[in-house]
Amino acid sequence: MIPLKYNIRSLRTRWVSSLMTIIGTALVVWAVVLTFGLADGLDHTLEVSGEPLDLIVMRKGATAETNSIINESTAREMAALDGIASDAAGNKLCSPELVVVVNTARRAGDTNANMILRGVTPAAKEVRSNFHIVAGRENKPGVREAIASTQMANRFKGAGLDEELDVFGAPFKIVGLFEAGHSATESEVWTDLEVLGQTTKREGVRSAIQLRANSADDAQRMADRISSDEQFGLSALSEPVYFAEQAKSSRGIKAIGVFIAVILSIGAVFAVANTMYAAVASRAREIGTLRALGFNRRTILISFLLESLALCLAGGLLGCLAALPLNGMSTGTANWVTFSELAFTFRFGPTVQILAVSLVVVVGVIGGLFPALRATRMKIVDALREV
Amino acid sequence: MPAGSERAVVELRGVSKEYMRDKIRVPVLSNTNLDIPHGDFVAVMGPSGSGKSTLLNLAAGLDRPTTGTVTVAGTELNQLSESKLTRWRSQHLGFIFQLYNLMPVLTAFENVELPLLLTSLSRRQRAEHVETALRIVGLQERMDHFPRQLSGGQEQRVAIARALVNDPVLLLADEPTGNLDAAAAQEIMDLLQQLNEEFEKTIVMVTHDPRAARRARRMLHLEKGTFVETELDALEAAG
Repeated sequence: MIPLKYNIRSLRTRWVSSLMTIIGTALVVWAVVLTFGLADGLDHTLEVSGEPLDLIVMRKGATAETNSIINESTAREMAALDGIASDAAGNKLCSPELVVVVNTARRAGDTNANMILRGVTPAAKEVRSNFHIVAGRENKPGVREAIASTQMANRFKGAGLDEELDVFGAPFKIVGLFEAGHSATESEVWTDLEVLGQTTKREGVRSAIQLRANSADDAQRMADRISSDEQFGLSALSEPVYFAEQAKSSRGIKAIGVFIAVILSIGAVFAVANTMYAAVASRAREIGTLRALGFNRRTILISFLLESLALCLAGGLLGCLAALPLNGMSTGTANWVTFSELAFTFRFGPTVQILAVSLVVVVGVIGGLFPALRATRMKIVDALREV
Repeated sequence: MPAGSERAVVELRGVSKEYMRDKIRVPVLSNTNLDIPHGDFVAVMGPSGSGKSTLLNLAAGLDRPTTGTVTVAGTELNQLSESKLTRWRSQHLGFIFQLYNLMPVLTAFENVELPLLLTSLSRRQRAEHVETALRIVGLQERMDHFPRQLSGGQEQRVAIARALVNDPVLLLADEPTGNLDAAAAQEIMDLLQQLNEEFEKTIVMVTHDPRAARRARRMLHLEKGTFVETELDALEAAG
């Protein structure tokens, strides 16, 4: 093998063109990592939101809680079903909930967005993993108090601790902030179920009921029972299935990501190829000498491909480092199922990292292949004559 | 030129070489026979275009004859595939070029080590061989220097060390003093002569320089693709 230091030092010798190529590749990787980090973050949020043993019960035909209505008596019947798990105190883990979309001003800019305000009973937090108050306290039942996720507190006016949130003209005091393991719950503000019903003139109305089953078998049995009973007029979905449906909203971001990746990568391939063609042309005599010394065509090919890969890997590393500060940064997008804001964070998980590495490898190999082939095809006697 | 020695390192039999230039056949060597025995030091002279470099390329297996056979160290080069020829070259030949052809980004040590990377020697064994070769050419103190930090003569000595390091049967030198001043050229020729006399290296050297040619055991003159052997005494007389 030709030592790798030969290639690395040669890149250093032509540092201007090498640096330009590295920066170009870095920009491509940065843009791609960012876009797919966005999609990955969104997917992750919806993925961690689904508990396998939890069922979401909605009116038949409803695609989201926001367009589902269940009356109070039917909701009570749900609580009487067999197979529902209980908490330590023996209370059934059955959470009737009312979901209202409130158009609220964003903190950043002068625009408004739809925020989900959820009316809940104490059972709600029991059926959501990782739910915990991080500042202030829980809201009291029967009064206009609410708790907001830290992400919503940061994103919406009136949702911060001790601020007042305007809900159709009625002020709700934010008395606490919560987190819920980066799930979709972190895109909501919670208040008392009955108070929200009175405020929005929807007393006795529930949007959905969340149930936790004792086991996977019980979950399946309950889902079948609820969905098949014509009197209920309800359907029950497991939470992972419900959120998987919503995760389709990340498809648009992914499509844009693929488009950006393809277009920019083609540009990067040309940049790398240009640099490598110049490298091969300027080192024709060196290539001829290596061939005369006994290095075969394959070794020359591998050597120049490795040089091209080294160039791209340096660019990839730079691009990833440049994107790193955005990892975990909060952002939001419209959830086209609930028509409300879904808050999530950039997430450069293993999928995005593998994608970035694959991208630089593909760019490096394709960009370096043709120049490297040219190097191997040189006639030794001609190459040796090059000055 | 007479052929037939059993111990010949280089044997050319009926070798012709033609090139195509703008669809015109240009003969460079015609029906050439040559024997270079082991331990010989041959200087090949002749005007530009007489076929000197072609001769060297054929002996090195870098080019193939149009007709005839080239046998080096008992191997008929025509019979070898390109990959086998490449491998054979790394085991049997040492090259010395007019422009030294060192890798500018590698140190003297690393340049000399290059041919050994094709062998199964360990790193330690390679280091020993490289140090020995650099000691022979008198550059053991400069092994960490890059070519740009060396004079032309020193660069050529590194190139000679690289040519020597795998203990080749045949050294092929293409104008080894062509880019050097008189003093440096003298040193290089001293070195080549030492390699021939002390280490019994067979050397074929193409040169335009009569002073360099005088240091060889014998001189061949190429005229329009045909050899004319010149006695060194005659060369002396010619000045």
